[in-house]
Amino acid sequence: MMLLKLERAVNRVSDLFGKIAAVLFVLLLFNVFYDVLSRYVFNDVSIAMQEMEWHLFALMFLLGVPFTLRADAHVRVDILYDRLSTRKRAWIDLTGTLCLLLPFCLLVGWYGVGFAHESYLLGETSGDPGGLAYRWLIKAAIPFAFFATALSGLGLALKSVNTLRGQSMADIQGNHP
Amino acid sequence: VATLFNPAQADEKVYRLKMAETWQTNFPIFGDAPRNMAAMAEKMSNGRLKITIDSANKHKAPFGVFDMVRAGQYDMGHSASYYWKGKVPNTLFFSTMPFGMTTPEQYGWFYQGGGMELMQQVYAPFNLMSFPGGNTGNQMGGWFQKEINSLEDIQGLKMRIPGFAGEVLAKLGANPTNIPPGELYTALERRTIDALEWVGPGLDLRMGFHKIAPYYYTGWHEPATELQFLINTRSWEKLPADLQEILRVAMRTASYDMYIQNYDASATAWAQMKAEFPDIQIKTFPAEVMTALKGANDELLEEAAAADPLAKQIIESQQNYQAKVRVWTNISDRAYLNSLSD
Amino acid sequence: MIGIVMFFAALALLLSGFPVAFIFGGVALLFGVFAEGPDIFAFMPFRIQSIMQSTTMMAVPLFIFMGLVLQKTRLAEQLLEAMAKLFGGVRGGLAISTVLVGALLAASTGVVGASVVAMGLISLPVMLKYNYEKSLACGTICASGTLGQIIPPSIILIILGDVLGIPVGDLFKAALWPGLLLIGAYVLYILIYAFLNPASAPALPIDRNISRRTYYGQALKAILPPLALILVVLGSIFAGVATPTESSALGGVGALILSLLYRQFSWKMLYEAALETVKVTAMVFAILLGATAFSMAFSYTGGDYIVEEVLTGLPGGQMGFLLLSMLAILVLGFFIDFVEISFIIVPILAPVADALGIAPIWFAILIAMNLQASFLTPPFGFALFYLKGVAPVSIRTTDIYRGVVPFILLQLVVLVTILMFPGLYGLV
Ligand code: NA
Ligand code: NA
Repeated sequence: MMLLKLERAVNRVSDLFGKIAAVLFVLLLFNVFYDVLSRYVFNDVSIAMQEMEWHLFALMFLLGVPFTLRADAHVRVDILYDRLSTRKRAWIDLTGTLCLLLPFCLLVGWYGVGFAHESYLLGETSGDPGGLAYRWLIKAAIPFAFFATALSGLGLALKSVNTLRGQSMADIQGNHP
Repeated sequence: VATLFNPAQADEKVYRLKMAETWQTNFPIFGDAPRNMAAMAEKMSNGRLKITIDSANKHKAPFGVFDMVRAGQYDMGHSASYYWKGKVPNTLFFSTMPFGMTTPEQYGWFYQGGGMELMQQVYAPFNLMSFPGGNTGNQMGGWFQKEINSLEDIQGLKMRIPGFAGEVLAKLGANPTNIPPGELYTALERRTIDALEWVGPGLDLRMGFHKIAPYYYTGWHEPATELQFLINTRSWEKLPADLQEILRVAMRTASYDMYIQNYDASATAWAQMKAEFPDIQIKTFPAEVMTALKGANDELLEEAAAADPLAKQIIESQQNYQAKVRVWTNISDRAYLNSLSD
Repeated sequence: MIGIVMFFAALALLLSGFPVAFIFGGVALLFGVFAEGPDIFAFMPFRIQSIMQSTTMMAVPLFIFMGLVLQKTRLAEQLLEAMAKLFGGVRGGLAISTVLVGALLAASTGVVGASVVAMGLISLPVMLKYNYEKSLACGTICASGTLGQIIPPSIILIILGDVLGIPVGDLFKAALWPGLLLIGAYVLYILIYAFLNPASAPALPIDRNISRRTYYGQALKAILPPLALILVVLGSIFAGVATPTESSALGGVGALILSLLYRQFSWKMLYEAALETVKVTAMVFAILLGATAFSMAFSYTGGDYIVEEVLTGLPGGQMGFLLLSMLAILVLGFFIDFVEISFIIVPILAPVADALGIAPIWFAILIAMNLQASFLTPPFGFALFYLKGVAPVSIRTTDIYRGVVPFILLQLVVLVTILMFPGLYGLV
């Protein structure tokens, strides 16, 4: 039960990232639309708004990665995977998460911290006229997203362990409204 | 123990430096400078100094060269100082400035007028040394779809012109616009933007802008763009004195060579463009526009000087040197060219 | 050497069924850290930042969103059904319509991920609904989704123009005929295949109760609005309103406006489409993030030198050189992405081609066609992963692999005609 609750808590966090990313996407869509409109119709260009485009875009897909992992929507080559039993699949997910996903995300996240910190110390801004300041914020999205993906990976590992123990989320669904 | 002090053996040690360049593999002219430099250094040192160059397609971080050399991931970099303006504002001054010095004048400032010392002062806190890395000479003002006849034509002008020069134009009411390089051609052709600046004929030719825009404006904003060799101070200090000197000479020679190479490439490319497209019109902004641009430029420099004492020192050093050297340019090169009928 | 082992390790691990993105990333970690120590990963944030700032890639989520809105409002379904109805009793109409819509999307974007995913969302459900053979449906989508690489504007052509020093405009013009021929070849293949295998691509049922006139009238009425939307996207580029990337946002907003006009809009629909967009986009970019780690470990452990050595050893003779270099690019395309090929391999080949008197534009178009095929080649072709990512569970990886083979062969046939008769395409 303990592990199931933990899995549920982790999943909720990953889902939250997905929701935030969905809002960021809608903002991106109208940001680009606004930039086209204002340039073509009003002959007005804002570099800050243009830079905001890639800020939203980057944050959107970075936060989307942990959510997509939780939603099991990352591509798998299913030539063999499909034919395996649930237990064998759980073993693959558990091993893959511990040996590949977690080390990768944690290591990239670790170097991402230094990367963003450097930018913070320099007070880095955009080099273009009217561009956005606080470049460290968007750089900090890299370690944040990789740690978030590691967390989501932990959720996948928990799910696999729970499956191997013969338990699933369905067992505690009744416990909350 | 005796072998430890054997100078012949010490000489054999091979020093390897890794360099990251901002350019893609085989990028012409800009990329030739670091390649020539590395080849020269290796030859002059009889193989004791080996420099390998990673291009942007390998490290994937064209504008991460400053950080990577600073952190020691690479020993050296080849890039341009004004790219780091967003990180360290005072790096702006060591590439070129609108209405600033021409290439020989600026080399005079670097090597005789205190420019090098100021540059090291800016870079030292970041554990870096910077050296001139090749000069493009005067860059063209860019390709325009519409003619600029008055200040009014600058109003709302949508132009791809990054950095400080973009700020100067923006002060007159122009709209500097970000367009990814891959979409520049389509954007200019379809008039999504009115104008763009790139480099000069040598590098503009392959972008094909001359086929889609009628006006080629003469330069004002990048009279002498100097590229840059960056070196991590620790990597530099590890080198024995003779290799340091060899490296210094190789960098200086390669820089000058690139200036000449680009001068020649521009002349050749311009002849080709003009032959294929005789209708391209060379234009210069009218005096009214130039005066206003100069005014905007001076205002921005005053703001920068007021904000930071080191910036003030650099700007004054450049202005003083330019005032002195321009008098000579006027009675030598300019007078000579003016005295000829064409 | 490590590069080659890495490649086979990734290949073997892919079979485990663990998500592709993290296999690339994890294998990069194991081999990169083993060979160079953990500090090699200090390069990763820089590489990730490059992806974050590649504004042309913004077309991916924006096109996905347009596709999703068209799908959720059933406008895409109506478009394809109506187009297929125009083919009357001819079999394969839906697949041909997919190729044609794909070609139109291709003319507005040059990003493979964007068009494959959008076409997967728009047309896969429709083809499955009408009992199309799964592999035919998948092959058609992947092939028409990669058309964006050869039909201008295209990122491959822009990069090749830069590398070979050819003005982009010239390349765009040169690519037009080969692109059109490719579209023709796809259509012809589908017609023949559907004729020979009636069950694979059934014709849409014809309603006998209405006159021929009403039948075609209704079809045209259903086609116009979504087609107009796609034409607006294209038109905005030609009229100079938007850059190719921005045009995809006009497509997204336009799709929302259409949904309002058809009274299909709801906040729930918008939220679901946005959330789905996030999911699919993250799937695509996770692969790119994993792949950049993989190519980093590959090149920093010396893989790029191996590739260079192989290529510098190619023998001479115009046809011999062309055939071998095309073969080399095709094989390398299995595991190196097209940007790497353009920047590393093409510069090695270009001077040789030049010395052999091969026209640069001809050479560039050959390479572009070849690289387009490399997006489709199993097991590492990115188009295959992208389609798998948006396909319903009933579609298996093997359906996709099997489906693309004939289309790869078609591309090779067109490639050979360009190789043999460049004069026909005006390339020499
Ligand atoms: Na320039
Ligand atoms: Na295209």
